[in-house]
Amino acid sequence: MRISTWRLVCALLVLGVAGAATAQEGHPLKGSWIGTWESNETHGEFVLVVLDWDGERVSGIINPGTDNIEIDAATLDPEAWSVRIEADAENRDGGTVSYVIEGTIGDLELPNRYITGSWQHDSGGGAFEIRRQ
Amino acid sequence: MRNADTNSRRTATMTATALFALASSAAVAHHPIHGKFDPDAALTLNGIVTYVDWRNPHTHVFMNVSDGDEVLNWAVELESPIDLEANGWSQATVLPGDAITVSGITARDGTRQIWGDSVLRSDSGSAVFRVSNEPPPPPLAPRPTPRWPDGQPALGGTAESINGYWGYPSATVLVEDGVDVAMDASGMLEDLDDAARVAPMQPWALALYRHRQERSLRDDPMYLNCKPPGGPRQYLSHLGFQLIEDRDSERVFVLIGSGNRNYRIIYLDGREHVGQVGGDDDNPLYYGRSVGSWDGDTLVVDTRGFNEDFWFTSGGLPHTDRLRLIERFTRIDLETLEYEVTIEDDGTYTRPWTSTWMLRWVGGAELPFHLCQHNRP
Repeated sequence: MRISTWRLVCALLVLGVAGAATAQEGHPLKGSWIGTWESNETHGEFVLVVLDWDGERVSGIINPGTDNIEIDAATLDPEAWSVRIEADAENRDGGTVSYVIEGTIGDLELPNRYITGSWQHDSGGGAFEIRRQ
Repeated sequence: MRNADTNSRRTATMTATALFALASSAAVAHHPIHGKFDPDAALTLNGIVTYVDWRNPHTHVFMNVSDGDEVLNWAVELESPIDLEANGWSQATVLPGDAITVSGITARDGTRQIWGDSVLRSDSGSAVFRVSNEPPPPPLAPRPTPRWPDGQPALGGTAESINGYWGYPSATVLVEDGVDVAMDASGMLEDLDDAARVAPMQPWALALYRHRQERSLRDDPMYLNCKPPGGPRQYLSHLGFQLIEDRDSERVFVLIGSGNRNYRIIYLDGREHVGQVGGDDDNPLYYGRSVGSWDGDTLVVDTRGFNEDFWFTSGGLPHTDRLRLIERFTRIDLETLEYEVTIEDDGTYTRPWTSTWMLRWVGGAELPFHLCQHNRP
């Protein structure tokens, strides 16, 4: 029940702000992104990602609804608009899981562009999709 | 030192005359025509005018066209009323009931819209709504730069001189000085392989620039959302701009001709960039924050704090909020303004780079009243 309510709230949040993406004509990764990493039993299925660009590197955080996960490395290959994000996070047992997210930017020209691909860590993986807000 | 280079200025003036002529032959639409209309979809229509929508940013003439047993209404898109009126046309040039023949290219989305490359009266064959952005002929001898009583050059009109604005830019697209790349007035490259030559872009910026070009610039926010021109694009529009010097308050207002009556302020009172406009230091702005000072006869303006909501030039060159512009305004003579801008944006470009062009004084005229929102698209 609690999970269903949480999912509903998150879904409404995503739907509610999806149409309000602010214009952003700079580096394509910069901004706040909301979406899902499916089948993630470690951190839940809903995720917020905040990315920034300082002229040399992409940095940011992943927020699954609890504590922020600092991004260790994020790269953009503009030839294919492919994205790779690496981050270490704490699991429920206090151990560390290493996430690798790989995806491709779609609707590049839109402020509410998206990244779709996959995520994986030491013991799981699934589809990954986030949309810029 | 720059201002002592008289020979350079004379050369610049002569070059400006040539550049003005080059720039004048291009289409002057506020948006890239090929973003909306397909250059490979040419069509000629014969029909009867049903309505003339004489509003910015583009005039539309609606016409009924017989197609077999049915009559279809087409929208013919033309230049803005400002440009049409400057060429002697008016809302009464054609009237409902008139027969016309229109040749042009049709809309990419399949709707019954056509860009009117040619409009002819069917009865006489005479052409109407032709637009040329020819600048007025230059004077035989350049007239001296008007100055204020203290000797400082006047960037606009003074109490003693005639008012006016700056128009007829010799360039309509930002390109690094010394680079010769073939493109149209809206910044569409003739050869996409030239993309990397336009400016020293980082790989992501070059890829994004190419992407925008491949989409015929149809994603330009100035077209999609009627946004005003930001950054150096303010000085690339044929609709011009006006510089109002408020010397008592040590500031210059830049009235943007194609900017929905927007303006920016350049502060000359010696203030620092940080905190200059009261607490918005963390909020990047559409026009950035500008401070300026005089270097001899040149006004040097330092602008930072831009947001990323716009394209800062036609053609789709990107920028980030790390953008800093160093602009140099020099009134070479009464009719000629040299505008030089150095782009510093280490989030987008591999090094600073500079672009320069000329503008012509349009004396005795009001800045065109252009509101993009009047009539969309």
